[in-house]
Amino acid sequence: MNNTAASPMSTVATSSSGRATGKSTSFTLELQSMMFSLGDARRPLHETAVLVEDIVHTQLINLLQQAAEVSQLRGARVISAEDLLFLMRKDKKKLKRLLKYMFFRDYKSKIVKGIEEDDLLEDKFSNSSNVNKRQKIAQDFLHSIDQTGELLAMFEDDEIDDVKQERMERAERQTRMMDTAQYAEFCESRQLSFSKKASKFRDWLDCSSMEIKPNVIAMEILAYLAYETVAQLVDLALLVRQDMAPKAGDPFSHAISATFIQYHASSESTAACGIEAQSDAIQPSHIREAIRRYGHKIGPVSPFTSAYRRNGMTFLAC
Amino acid sequence: MPYDSYLHIFLPDELNQENTEQTLTEGKQGVERNHEIQGDPSRLQSVSEKNSNGICTDNFNLSNSGSNPLPTENSTLPSPENSSSSFFPLTSMTPLMPVTPVSESSGIVPQLQNIVSTVNLACKLDLKKIALHAKNAEYNPKRFAAVIMRIREPRTTALIFSSGKMVCTGAKSEELSRLAARKFARVVQKLGFPARFLDFKIQNMVGSCDVRFPIRLESLVLTHQQFSSYEPELFPGLIYRMVKPRIVLLIFVSGKVVLTGAKERSEIYEAFENIYPILKSFKKA
Repeated sequence: MNNTAASPMSTVATSSSGRATGKSTSFTLELQSMMFSLGDARRPLHETAVLVEDIVHTQLINLLQQAAEVSQLRGARVISAEDLLFLMRKDKKKLKRLLKYMFFRDYKSKIVKGIEEDDLLEDKFSNSSNVNKRQKIAQDFLHSIDQTGELLAMFEDDEIDDVKQERMERAERQTRMMDTAQYAEFCESRQLSFSKKASKFRDWLDCSSMEIKPNVIAMEILAYLAYETVAQLVDLALLVRQDMAPKAGDPFSHAISATFIQYHASSESTAACGIEAQSDAIQPSHIREAIRRYGHKIGPVSPFTSAYRRNGMTFLAC
Repeated sequence: MPYDSYLHIFLPDELNQENTEQTLTEGKQGVERNHEIQGDPSRLQSVSEKNSNGICTDNFNLSNSGSNPLPTENSTLPSPENSSSSFFPLTSMTPLMPVTPVSESSGIVPQLQNIVSTVNLACKLDLKKIALHAKNAEYNPKRFAAVIMRIREPRTTALIFSSGKMVCTGAKSEELSRLAARKFARVVQKLGFPARFLDFKIQNMVGSCDVRFPIRLESLVLTHQQFSSYEPELFPGLIYRMVKPRIVLLIFVSGKVVLTGAKERSEIYEAFENIYPILKSFKKA
């Protein structure tokens, strides 16, 4: 991330290692920028970013270990896209989002290759079977594990991704009020991702202790999942913050769902409340509450199952 | 830019070859022959009647040797709307286009940046021989099974395959692409191969321009969801897939627009005229 004078991050105090770890690489600054682009305030809190970094890191390491187990099961020598896709098979919406991302990556390389003469030659050099390679991998794999046909049905399914839709609407609302300079900053922040800093990301993940390591496409997917985790955390934290905001004079405020409030906050005359909530940065407490609620599985038999027995971590990204 | 029209004489087109070979029975080659007959004379003709139809926009600079039987003349002014490449094809196969394809609405004309074309030289080629004897040729069979050749005028690159097929990239107009392809073919011919010039086809055209105002991509992607994809983490531009004409546009926050996927110049102009009012409505205040 480039620390230009206009960047909101330049004024935030930095320490190269997060408070929880003594690692040399840290994504705190980038995370602050990412959170801003995902809906947080213009200057997200440093503590929040450190907490988010910690959470994302822990989740990714756990995910990697599970993927390594899957990889071992099928007797492979590297962790590949198939293993990660396998871990995500339970949540169709998130899987579909991941697939869309992979296909978009293929599509974008195809287009950009047609534009740049040098890219065209480079592509010819590498291998022309690179076209749509991610799509092929995903389709082949899902085909092989799909017993009921519901995974393959996803490819034809044209349903709108609600979460993505909400994020787009939030971004649109956020940018509506900005002037040109702020908007330029915002766009720059939006372009930040873990995949742009691939080598730093690899160091940060630190797979050196693992027996089986991820290959290139698996790393791409992991970078995407890291970004998705951050996005999910911001989504949830914003909901939590909305919940916490006291609405004066409304006797049923505790019973109204957060999404309802959020939807109406932008158009109602309780604009004062809305603006206050918007300008505050996300606090670490919001994040912690969001994690707590997310991990708390409420299902039909949950009153009868022990809350302390949970197999493994609840992943935000899959 | 220099336009070596002597190529029409020295590079045997289908017409000349037919006199020396057997009569060609293949219909496809017959079509190509017709094309060549129509193409060349009309091009030569239009050089001389440049002023009569008022549609001369090329800057011919026929700097060549005295053996050239053609009259050496410079054409008239470049087209009024811009000074860069507006090299309209003069063959009778293409419809006459208005000199200024500018409609009242935008006043901006996209500039062509790259043309990719293919042609069939219709003979097996010995790539090693070509690489050894030709200037500016690269051949690394372990990496890629084609010769990469470059020429300076027009500044283009060709990929030449042993089957005789050739891809030509980098030209800034249809005519220049064809000219470059002919030059490459000429090089191959000079090395002793019976190269022809079959099925020349423009495969892709890329244009770009600048609307000169910032655009709010977040709202554009929301309102035109079926056509747009915007993932700034992956690519800073919004990818807009226009249905009619079937063109892909890359729209950037700065207002720069890249158009690709066209087989004809008119598709690029039409696509831009379609998108311009949309972009104006999403202008960042």
